[in-house]
Amino acid sequence: MRLVWIALALALTGATIASLAAGDQQVPLGTVLGALTGDESVPATARIIVVDLRLPRAVLGALVGAALAVAGTATQAIMRNPLAEPGILGINAGAALAAMLVIVGLPGLTEAWLPWMSFAGALLMSAAIYALAWRSGTTSLRIILIGIGLGALAGAAASWISVFGPVAEVQRAMLWLAGSLQDSRWIKAQWLLIWGLPAALAIWLMARELDLVAFGDTVARGLGQPVQRVRGLAIFCAATLAGAAVAAAGPIAFVGLAAPHIARRLVGRSHAALVPASAIVGAILLLLADLAARRAMPPAQLPAGVAVALIGAPFFGYLLWRKRNDAV
Amino acid sequence: MSSARLSAGLLPLALVVSAVAVWALTVGASEISAMQALGSLWSGDDRAATVIRAVRLPRVIAALGVGAALAVAGAIMQAVTRNPMAEPGILGVNAGASFAVVLALAFGGVTAAHALAWFAFAGAGAASVLVYALGSAGRSGATPVKLVLSGVVVASFLASVTLAILLIDAQTFDAVRLWTAGSLRGRQLHDVLAVLPYAIGAIAVALAIRTQFTSMSLGAEVARGLGQNQAVWRAISVLIVALLAGSAVAMAGPVAFVGLVVPHMVRLCIGPDYGWLLPYSALAGALLTLVADTLPRAAWGTDVPVGISLALVGAPVFIWLARSRTGAVPA
Repeated sequence: MRLVWIALALALTGATIASLAAGDQQVPLGTVLGALTGDESVPATARIIVVDLRLPRAVLGALVGAALAVAGTATQAIMRNPLAEPGILGINAGAALAAMLVIVGLPGLTEAWLPWMSFAGALLMSAAIYALAWRSGTTSLRIILIGIGLGALAGAAASWISVFGPVAEVQRAMLWLAGSLQDSRWIKAQWLLIWGLPAALAIWLMARELDLVAFGDTVARGLGQPVQRVRGLAIFCAATLAGAAVAAAGPIAFVGLAAPHIARRLVGRSHAALVPASAIVGAILLLLADLAARRAMPPAQLPAGVAVALIGAPFFGYLLWRKRNDAV
Repeated sequence: MSSARLSAGLLPLALVVSAVAVWALTVGASEISAMQALGSLWSGDDRAATVIRAVRLPRVIAALGVGAALAVAGAIMQAVTRNPMAEPGILGVNAGASFAVVLALAFGGVTAAHALAWFAFAGAGAASVLVYALGSAGRSGATPVKLVLSGVVVASFLASVTLAILLIDAQTFDAVRLWTAGSLRGRQLHDVLAVLPYAIGAIAVALAIRTQFTSMSLGAEVARGLGQNQAVWRAISVLIVALLAGSAVAMAGPVAFVGLVVPHMVRLCIGPDYGWLLPYSALAGALLTLVADTLPRAAWGTDVPVGISLALVGAPVFIWLARSRTGAVPA
């Protein structure tokens, strides 16, 4: 077990340093470390490249990946469904519709509004799903069904715009919708921390409750859990986390769904270990994906969201294959 | 609901579907009455008969076939995986079909609609074989969780390769964006008829073995207790779903809504018995798709891709059903 954690920490450090060193201008390893520690002998250009250009992107990438992964872990626990991801709470559909409106639909709004509009869209959507699913309490199944219904409605509105809108603007919107770290700035990382950190900590603190949820509402209630309150709080935290991540980098798919599963195969099902492990897995996944997206065909940059599944899916498939004889 | 009432309900629903189909034949740019439309299905070579047989009939048949095939495929997927979020796309059919179509457009220079349909069919088949191979590996066979997760792996990998190609190649993106929204526009009769037999055959087989899905949906232990050979029936189900969803995606592009939502709508109305769920799903899927494809043209004269109008027409009904028909929360 300890080996797994050491390996995860090493992989995260390695991925961070690699994404600081690699790029159109390769920076040697020693220079990267020197620039980070404020060594005076490091040339100014290298320091600017590493600290001012690449560090914000690496930090934001790791934070977004971790946020999506933790939100996904909480969602899968609450819905008791291996297919669940923050998208079922309407995050992606709400953010996508808001983004389509900003980029293609409403000419008055500039793209500076994009992060705030998509955050608002995501949160409004989850609130609407939760409210519609409430009938003297919610059930997982009802949230899933209403989430599917409302998500389809918002998705249809977004693809209406994408089919009938001008193709250049629609393709720009598609680029944002694929999820990208290209416009990474410190201010985005700060906002993500302000919104996301309390939510992520709350989810981690609820680890025992999330373990209980797996036994079903009746058993959990019998063991003294306030079922509705736990579900409501977990959904609120997951929606805030994922919404803030989407506002920072666009709706990046696959991390929220796959990182919890990968982490579960590494550290087991107990949420006290699973939540931090999937945060690290999510961070590594997105850092490597962004690295691959930048380096795949320079100078063109693919959005990181496209590369996540290109890198993550084969690894996840390999894990499934290696553990194919385990009882699941 | 009692089975007497359920069996009495099937025939009226089928009549409603036929009536809507006749109405759909009369909707369009040129005025053609229902009697005229029915008459010119078999004979006549005037302008009206040409419009009906070349333009409207293929579209109506495609809508009915796509709707029925996807709804049945979705119901089966939900039984096999025992997961309310499952739909035919979980088998990788939509991602595989889109991938093959985009490859054909971008690198093969293929643009003819009927050729693309076969690419879609082949891509859907190849992807579902891959999903099943990965999901059924190992001693425990194709358990619901493994099947679903391997579907996620294959589908998201193919979808992101497709997206990468589309983001780089604006020309292919423009050609394919209507197709990816799902559309029944401009189908040729012989293209539809080329794929339709697979869908009809698979629906017939699914209806013939429909009670097996009830046992499957009750879980591995119950199914084993009832003497069901899990490995065999799961493989058969996956084959049926691949045929159904593959032919649907070849006819209309990737339409997600019907396969996911119609089985839930039917289940919320008549209960979880697959003996009734499958025939009702087939009829309800056909009806909803046909209405969604025809209504925008009848009401506003605009042609909306069926994937979009389906959600706009169906989602409000579904949300209302899910709100009012799922059991109350115990205090």
